[in-house]
Amino acid sequence: MRLSLDLLRRHVDLPADPAAVRSLLDACGLEVKRIDPAAAGVPVTLELLANRGDHHCLTGIARELSGHTGATVRWPEVTPLTAGDGPHPVHLHTDLCPVYTLTRLVRRGDGALAPEALAVLDGTGLKSVGPVVDATNVAYKELGQPTHAFDAATIEGPITVRLSRPGEQAWPLFQEAKVTVPEGTIVIADDVKVLAIAGVIGCEESKTTAATTTVLLESAAFDPVAVRKAARALGLATDSSARFERGADFSQPLQGAGRVATLLAAAGWEVDGPTGVAGGWTDPRRVVRMVPERCRRFLDVTTSDDELVARLARYGFVCTPEADGALAVRVPPHRLWDVVYPADLYEEVVKSIGYEHTPRGLPPVDMGALPTPVESVSDTVADVLVGAGFYEVVTDGFYSRALRDQLGFGPGHPLHAHVETANALDRAYSLLKNNALAQAVEGVALNVRMKHDAIKAFEFTRTFHPDPTASNGVCSERRLVWALCAGPERPATWAGPARPADVWFLKGLVDEIAHALDLPLQVGPADAAQPLSSALHPGRQATVCLDGRVVGILGEVHPEVVARFKLKRIRPCYLELGLVDLCADARPPAFSEPPRVPPVVRNLAFTLPPKVAAGDVADALQAAGPAWLRSVEVVDLFEHVEDGVPMRTFTYALTYANDDGDRTAEAMNGATEALIAVVDAAFGPAGVKLR
Amino acid sequence: MSRPDVDALLAAFRAELAAATTPEAVDEVRRLHAGKKSPLKEALRALRDVPEAERPSVAAAVNAAQQTVEAELDAARARLDAEVLAARLDAEWVDLSLPGVATPRGARHPVTRTERVCMDVMRQLGFELVDGPEVEDAFHNFDALNIPEHHPARDMQDTFWVDGGLLLRSHTTTVQARVLEARPPLPIKVVSMGRVYRNEAVDATHLAMFHQFEGIWVDRGLTFSHLKGTLAFVARALFGQDRKVRFKPKFYPYTEPSVGVDVSCGVCGGSGCEACHGAGWVTILGAGMIHPKVFAQFGYDPDEVSGIAFGLGTTRMMAQSTGVTRIRSLYEPDLRTLQRLDRGA
Repeated sequence: MRLSLDLLRRHVDLPADPAAVRSLLDACGLEVKRIDPAAAGVPVTLELLANRGDHHCLTGIARELSGHTGATVRWPEVTPLTAGDGPHPVHLHTDLCPVYTLTRLVRRGDGALAPEALAVLDGTGLKSVGPVVDATNVAYKELGQPTHAFDAATIEGPITVRLSRPGEQAWPLFQEAKVTVPEGTIVIADDVKVLAIAGVIGCEESKTTAATTTVLLESAAFDPVAVRKAARALGLATDSSARFERGADFSQPLQGAGRVATLLAAAGWEVDGPTGVAGGWTDPRRVVRMVPERCRRFLDVTTSDDELVARLARYGFVCTPEADGALAVRVPPHRLWDVVYPADLYEEVVKSIGYEHTPRGLPPVDMGALPTPVESVSDTVADVLVGAGFYEVVTDGFYSRALRDQLGFGPGHPLHAHVETANALDRAYSLLKNNALAQAVEGVALNVRMKHDAIKAFEFTRTFHPDPTASNGVCSERRLVWALCAGPERPATWAGPARPADVWFLKGLVDEIAHALDLPLQVGPADAAQPLSSALHPGRQATVCLDGRVVGILGEVHPEVVARFKLKRIRPCYLELGLVDLCADARPPAFSEPPRVPPVVRNLAFTLPPKVAAGDVADALQAAGPAWLRSVEVVDLFEHVEDGVPMRTFTYALTYANDDGDRTAEAMNGATEALIAVVDAAFGPAGVKLR
Repeated sequence: MSRPDVDALLAAFRAELAAATTPEAVDEVRRLHAGKKSPLKEALRALRDVPEAERPSVAAAVNAAQQTVEAELDAARARLDAEVLAARLDAEWVDLSLPGVATPRGARHPVTRTERVCMDVMRQLGFELVDGPEVEDAFHNFDALNIPEHHPARDMQDTFWVDGGLLLRSHTTTVQARVLEARPPLPIKVVSMGRVYRNEAVDATHLAMFHQFEGIWVDRGLTFSHLKGTLAFVARALFGQDRKVRFKPKFYPYTEPSVGVDVSCGVCGGSGCEACHGAGWVTILGAGMIHPKVFAQFGYDPDEVSGIAFGLGTTRMMAQSTGVTRIRSLYEPDLRTLQRLDRGA
């Protein structure tokens, strides 16, 4: 809300120093967003509390400040209006308008509003458009009661306050054409047309002009929800709707009309006859029972009962002591919308005292807390990835259909169906993501565009999966961590060439993560049933398993997917692990003393044709070896071509334990010869041979 | 047996030692002149043939010569070892002006780092982290938190609605609702953090998804004073012990009274500057005493139980601490930005 300190001073005494006023406003919950002490009148912009419609005017703000300072509020002069037979027939056909008043004013001269009234417009950021409209605007800014003036000459038949009919049209002010009013909206209408969308805006066909000589001045109260629905449906946010949405003061319509009459009197307008009043709203006289001792305990203050009563009175609350020491606190009409519980009154008390002027104290604190399993696992995995040069990123929880299609998940694919947003303002947020791969590869494209091609990124995120069996009946959520690398794993430097970030690098990371978590994660064969499998290179993917169960997947992104992202000469590799799956009991290795005698290593080189896995040969060697064959590791690869066929020769290092130093060379040589025979028998038919 | 010519032996030794220019050559001289078959060792073995009267003086002369040989050999070896070492060290100079070759570490995301700072503080007070779903129902996101349908407070949180009438949580307060609903034993001290969603037009400084951090402390006898004391502790722990803290009225539907927490501006120290729009204060936290209607919603008696609730925007806090104004760039996998934040330009 925009106002000026000069205007505010009309209604309440304030400190002379604008900085002190700013602190005062802040202390009262009227947060100053902008103030210009050097400008005329000292303009101020306030951020008002969302639930306090009564703050939307100068006297409302003055009343709030007076609750804190004790200063007296100065109210503007209001012409007393007499309720009686109205100037025009009014039919009230809806309960959503608790009170509706209509006052006739007739122009007897051609004057202007008083300068001090026009100063209100200027100080609150409004432009002058003519005495009648100006007077309604000024009265609103002063008292917070919206009013609206109809040109009496445009009214045809009685005025009816009713709900709109199907397909009914209205022509709201400042709109280029008529609009269809949602059915059930409160409208003010005559026999022919809609005169106003109640509580929101007037209409072109009944507006006042410079030629208007008689106005019918509406001052009413409308249901907050009805006004809110209408304003949102029509896309019309006005001062009036903002006020009514937050709950108007139903006792104020005559006050508001009377203030308009006072302002217009200066311009030569007179009230013509009694004001018609329709509707039967009466103050419900809500009483909240407050126990002073509980209030004092809640706020940790020693304020006396009398002081509590006095402070509440500043805000308009009337307290009556009860026999048991409690206070029966009657809520004033302007606070019926937000004061219901004793805690609401405690807030009034502490605002009056000042939030800064009550004690602070820490409650007793017991032991600290430990991280949850997911936190611990996340931190451990992140430590491994960060240590390997990965940067954690954050991506959105949703994406567009276009991005989904980049992965090629057509109808029938397990990841084709998504939970969809119903009202996203942006198409980029159409689908809740059911995989993290799309955004990961999109990130590669983003970085490549920026000439940043050494990419190592990871994210802890969650995906959303349509699941009618989920507790919410719609979807389940899966927490996961993904890591993607592309380009060089180690960049080329003066010390040596670059090494590509590839699937073996990711496999090594899985080993390190397994080690860090003390979990026996194993990289196993690819599984086409995994939902992401089709988006990965069929010959360069694998599953990650824990105790035989698939907990993740890794692989090079499928060349077709890469091409859809318009990436060239880059081969992103992707790893994904289910986070909850990793929250298993750690299984640290059992410790054994290192042997006094070093082990003996024998190397064997086997040439493997394509599609024979080096790991399978290693597994066979390990399985067939004696108990003292401690490990089998691939230590070298030589790629060559034989008869036009690309071949790979792997050197396997067989490490034999010799803990007591009594194992003979003959025994080890014999074991090695036996293993050669095993490989020959098992893999010879497939073309594997000793080199 | 004639008396050995010790002087001649020493002279021959010294001539050969002088010609030895490497440690290995010295070792060869040692073998020839101090080894088992050296002339001096032979002279010692021949002492039995020396007349008894002369034997002591001859033995003394030979022993003295042996000691001289050993000493001069050791000295020569030491000198040559030092020369060799000096030459090696000189030859092994490397150019350390070249860059290092270790794989550079990556980094956690600034939002994560901010969350960890918050968690570290809250754990000191015994708060545990609780997770909750991001796809929520209107009850836990709004109604249970005293935000009924068509209440203006819903304007503050433009909502993404999804299939089945569900929504993407617009604040982490949903976790508060779910914790209270589960009715764990008192005291309840939990925090939740993570992604929240607002259906807003996105630009460089506005996001449709960002991060929040939130906590509740529920017990018997908690007061407004405890709220202020806890918030002051948290604010100073997060933003610095030298920062001033102030409290002001705010409105949140799920707390009453509601509190905004400001700390003195870290840029100007409180005198007012562009960063704090001249206020001298920066709002960092929203908080309050849990609303009695929220308690009643989950079967608690608000006369018996009270609670502290507080929350902050971790995205905003991260932006304040990093100086990043175009926060959208941190919600994309833009590694250039992240590396600059981590390692500088």
